[in-house]
Amino acid sequence: MRDALRLALVIAAKDIRAELRSRTALLSAVVFAALVLVVFNFARDPTALSATDLAPSVLWVTFALAAMVALNRAFTIEREHGALDGLLLAPVPRGSLFLGKLLANLAFVGTVEAVTLPLFVLFFNVDLAAALPGIIGVTALATIGFVSVGTIFSAMAVRTRFAELMLPVLLLPFMVPPLIGAVQVTSRLLAGRPLSEMLGWLRLLAVYDVVFVTLCTMAFAAVVDE
Amino acid sequence: MTAGDAARTLTRRGVRVSVVALLGLAGVYVLALGYTPIEARQGVAQKIFYLHVPAAWSSLLAFSLVGITSALYLWLQDPRLDRFAAASAEVGVAFSAVMLTTGPIWAKPIWGTWWTWDARLTLTLFLFFLFIGYLALRASVHDPAERARFSAVVGILGMLLVPFIHLSVYLFRTLHPQPVVLKPSAPSLPPEMLRTLLISTLVFTLLYVGLVTLRYGLSLAEEARDEAADAAR
Amino acid sequence: MLPAEPPQNGGYMVAAYIVAPVILVGYLVSLVGRVRKAMGGR
Repeated sequence: MRDALRLALVIAAKDIRAELRSRTALLSAVVFAALVLVVFNFARDPTALSATDLAPSVLWVTFALAAMVALNRAFTIEREHGALDGLLLAPVPRGSLFLGKLLANLAFVGTVEAVTLPLFVLFFNVDLAAALPGIIGVTALATIGFVSVGTIFSAMAVRTRFAELMLPVLLLPFMVPPLIGAVQVTSRLLAGRPLSEMLGWLRLLAVYDVVFVTLCTMAFAAVVDE
Repeated sequence: MTAGDAARTLTRRGVRVSVVALLGLAGVYVLALGYTPIEARQGVAQKIFYLHVPAAWSSLLAFSLVGITSALYLWLQDPRLDRFAAASAEVGVAFSAVMLTTGPIWAKPIWGTWWTWDARLTLTLFLFFLFIGYLALRASVHDPAERARFSAVVGILGMLLVPFIHLSVYLFRTLHPQPVVLKPSAPSLPPEMLRTLLISTLVFTLLYVGLVTLRYGLSLAEEARDEAADAAR
Repeated sequence: MLPAEPPQNGGYMVAAYIVAPVILVGYLVSLVGRVRKAMGGR
């Protein structure tokens, strides 16, 4: 079991190094996120809706879209370098392979989110200080949820003709429960509500993560093996 | 029995069963329009119920069977399971489309709005998107074995997503109670309504069976044709 | 408190009762068409 995890980390490190080398992927996702935030800012009427009402939804739509851009770029890089095929020839347990890819994608999406959050605070003048640990926590929970399903779907999508279209079409329904949960928790965090009001949603997010990470780890073999 | 013969038998049977089901549907129309009472608060529009609810049942049935046959396929590797899943998904799209059209048409006179994020409509919308994604994936993968494996994974993941969507909507609704002007179905249905609903559900189930049989037969026919084309080359 | 008379919304019922079979029959017909094509235009 420990070997499997260590293997996953090695695979993740390799992928992360590859992503760091071509920084364009990270930059494009961040620029995209910034653009989305700017559009949202100009699109809303400041007198009609206060920033705190709109903030959670804006933040999470931005995160979701940026995550899709990041996932897309991640597998484009992989397709160009053919890294996966080499690994498949070796007797690497497919579960480790999946976890490695998941960790790399999480690092990638997490970085985009980490850069987007200060931009968000800046553009929307939101006071995040008290809620910050909670925001980081719920972001981690929700991101794990949709990146796990996104990782297995991008492994599939890369083998189809319309890969860039196939990933969002498949992934969007699966992003909904994590997104709803994330927006609900974020909005309560920003409003300073007590933890008891968020527990139901947090439980939903946690169970979602456990179920789908497990399932995708088990199903990965069916996707990459003949 | 060759694949071509099996295709012929199944398609014929599928058409026959479907036509019988459609005649049954005509009978349901007679019952709904002539036999059932008019609901006092909702008026005649309430009768949409006799189409909408059975369509929901058929969609859910179709979807569950896609999930179950997907899981079985990954375990048993039987191509018949994959063929069935594909058939059930396509038929499920048709029934979901009925739900997604009759739902808003019913909601507008009853709740005053075309759409409401209630549990049933929201879930159907997601089933619809999942079906569409499933079929889009199948259309994009050419190798039959790979297509079967990928579809099976999506089928299983999709089946497991449904309880989470349901939970999300439930949590959302309990914390954001929507003003309900009129409840769509009265707490206790008069016997005529109940009987008509049950008959309609049976008819829709029969239609599901007929359409899936036909669609399955179509897969066989297409496979037979492709094999013949390959052999001729 | 029940209103004196049910609301006049028959138009919606008619719309739904037309749309539903159009979708279902339409799908059946398209399937039959695809079968004919797969079996060589019989």
